Amino acid sequence: MLTFEPYGNPTYFALLGVALLPLMIGLLYGKRSRLYETLVSIFFLVLTFGGSKWTQGVALIIYILYEVVLTWGYAVYRRNHNSGPLFYLMVILAIAPLTIVKVTPAVENGQSSLIGFLGVSYLTFRAVQTMMETRDGTLKNYNIMTFLQFMLFFPTISSGPIDRYRRFEADYRSVPDRDKYLGMLQKGIRYLFVGFLYKFILAYYFGTILMPKLQLMAMHSRGGFLDISWPLIGYMYCYSADLFFDFAGYSLFAVGTSYIMGIATPMNFNQPWRSPNIKDFWNRWHITLSFWFRDFIYMRLVFWFMKHKIFKKPTTTANVTYIINMLIMGFWHGVTWYYITYGLFHGVALVVNDTWLRYKKKHRQSIPHNKFTQIFAIFLTANLVCFSFLIFSGILDKIWFLK
Amino acid sequence: MAKRLLRIFGPLILAAILVFAVLASPVTFGFKHISTTRERQAAVSLSPNVLRGKHIKEAALSDGYVPFFGSSEWSRIDPMHPSVLAQKYHRDYRPFLLGARGTQSLTQFFVMQNIQGELRNKKAVFFVSPQWFVKGGTRKDAFGFYYSQLQTAEWLTHYRHDAIDQYAAKRLMQMPAAKSDHFIYAALQRVAAGKSLTDDQRFYLQTRKNMLTQEDQFFSGINLPSQNLSRVNRQAKKLPTQYSYSALDRLGGQLGKQATGNNPFQISDKFYNHGLKQEIKTGSLKGFQKNLSYLQSPEYSDFQLCLDQFARLHTDVLFIIPPINQRWQKYTGLSATMLKQFDQKIHYQLQSQGFNNIVDLSDKGNVPYFMTDTIHPGWRGWLAIDKRVDPFLTKKQAQPRYHTSDKFYEKQWQQLEPSQLSQYENNK
Repeated sequence: MLTFEPYGNPTYFALLGVALLPLMIGLLYGKRSRLYETLVSIFFLVLTFGGSKWTQGVALIIYILYEVVLTWGYAVYRRNHNSGPLFYLMVILAIAPLTIVKVTPAVENGQSSLIGFLGVSYLTFRAVQTMMETRDGTLKNYNIMTFLQFMLFFPTISSGPIDRYRRFEADYRSVPDRDKYLGMLQKGIRYLFVGFLYKFILAYYFGTILMPKLQLMAMHSRGGFLDISWPLIGYMYCYSADLFFDFAGYSLFAVGTSYIMGIATPMNFNQPWRSPNIKDFWNRWHITLSFWFRDFIYMRLVFWFMKHKIFKKPTTTANVTYIINMLIMGFWHGVTWYYITYGLFHGVALVVNDTWLRYKKKHRQSIPHNKFTQIFAIFLTANLVCFSFLIFSGILDKIWFLK
Repeated sequence: MAKRLLRIFGPLILAAILVFAVLASPVTFGFKHISTTRERQAAVSLSPNVLRGKHIKEAALSDGYVPFFGSSEWSRIDPMHPSVLAQKYHRDYRPFLLGARGTQSLTQFFVMQNIQGELRNKKAVFFVSPQWFVKGGTRKDAFGFYYSQLQTAEWLTHYRHDAIDQYAAKRLMQMPAAKSDHFIYAALQRVAAGKSLTDDQRFYLQTRKNMLTQEDQFFSGINLPSQNLSRVNRQAKKLPTQYSYSALDRLGGQLGKQATGNNPFQISDKFYNHGLKQEIKTGSLKGFQKNLSYLQSPEYSDFQLCLDQFARLHTDVLFIIPPINQRWQKYTGLSATMLKQFDQKIHYQLQSQGFNNIVDLSDKGNVPYFMTDTIHPGWRGWLAIDKRVDPFLTKKQAQPRYHTSDKFYEKQWQQLEPSQLSQYENNK
């Protein structure tokens, strides 16, 4: 049977075009057929998780049922009760499958877990967020069908962007007026084409053509100080370019497809390479993930620390939370030394950045601020980020420890 | 609304039409010319893209290059490698190396399909590795790696209704790669059953062939690896300006001596350190080929496909049968009797059909510095091969007379014990 990587080849896009055409016509005439949307979603899910990948399909179905029971059960419970420990238990249960999937390779010599499937992380983010907003009381009318549509929205199922339940629901329950929809359509098509440029031309060049050569050269040039060599530095920039164009390209496909379906899925990237500091970088890079971490880990932890008065100074609270937050992100990428170091690196970078900004604010008169310093800040941030991606890439693991 | 929709989708539709028109069109778009540097690069690149493609091979072969079919041995580039000698001594031929690790007869049969014009009434060199003739024949994943839809489509537009092409279709259908295109698979089923293709299939194949041909022209030259060409140039510098067989043979011995020495097999140190040292230490390779046999294999019939293709095109072919490093062979326990029998069987298949240009080196496994590693020729081995290749390609040869037989497609032949050869011949 036919199976596809999402957005992997021309046939996938051709099928997408054919499947979305009736939907487009419907939306142009102010109609949204839930039934047709569901059928299209199922069709593409089967294409992604069927055929030779059927075990993933089974894992997905079991996982979804499990999360539905948890979120629905909690929503019913939350109508009349609000116990803290029960809430924590439910969150732990909700992230348990993801934890197993992430830890398995580290303890089983790189074997991947049986319960894993493409996109398990992103579904977990959506489920946990639904649960947390239910606790906050901001999400009052939990509906199983909407939750299913939200979780299984096929354009974003494999790698995000991570939408929010209430935002998705508002779009899903309404039909944009014709003018607005035409605007979305225009944007959607443009996103798809910029995505083609990013993913199939630029990421292909950097990732498939250039990177293996640089990796080979870097492996051959070992022996210097920490085995660092010019090819390794080339690899660092090449890997960073590949990572950006590949992921930004994919995100453009996901957002573009959503727009064509009349759903304004949030953007994932916003010119990250022009960030003047690391904090701004995280507002522009993989935005839906970093905002998810900000809203559901960072803010919660800060409130919790303040409520229990763990630290005297608010800056200490912020700093400790930055490190914890980024460490969790590191662990989420996978339990390897380089992902965790990457998380720690960014945590420390955020702390240093905050300290510097505070210092700068205090000494505004004596520290110059002009075009040159701005360009320098952008240059420094970009290089720092590229260096962190060098850690993230795992090539250091090969260079240092591969015989 | 219509105006706005046109603004949104107009460019998209136009682009789709243009791309399809360019790809499906049978006209070539001025990319015909390939520079000499590019040909030189491609001839030694061993790149799978070049092997799967058409354009570059076709251009080079009609420009003084001779196809050298084979597999992993081509990558053993030392000063006596055929490509280096041909360049250094300004021979009026240049080898175009076709094949790399994992290419066997079946792949080569399909490689021949879109260079038929360049093979017809011309010469070729074919390096037969005994290691191909294992029980399972060609590996499915290796075949898949080198599989080219372009070559298959081209073959399907000119196949014949005979035992040869029926066998090829059946064999291809056993490979997972054949299922990569459902229409092609359906066409193969008809070929295997001896039927003609339907009009729809013919139309599809023609369109697909055009598209793949255009793709090949546009893209196969991109990112052509150039390391091998610089290796050839580097190796050529180590050779004396004047060709002299005895001087080169001495040099080969010296170079071989310098490059080997850290192991008892006269295997090049580099190869030994990289691939063998650890296993030799554990002793896991001692005697591990005791029960290996090259005598029963579907490869014999796949090989027949190549022979039939040469016969159809009246190509004059020189076959090379290499030895195995004898020290290594003794260490791994590979049976010398079996190797001798393999030699008999392959000789029978070649000579009984009129393929008489054979460089049989199978008894040279004990010549010092003949082999660069376990199974691949190097230094003096390459030179010995060149001694036969050069005159074959530069001097006029008598027109070969082939009389091929379909009996080599039978299971009986694939499984035949060479000790039964004389009996087999009398019965047929």
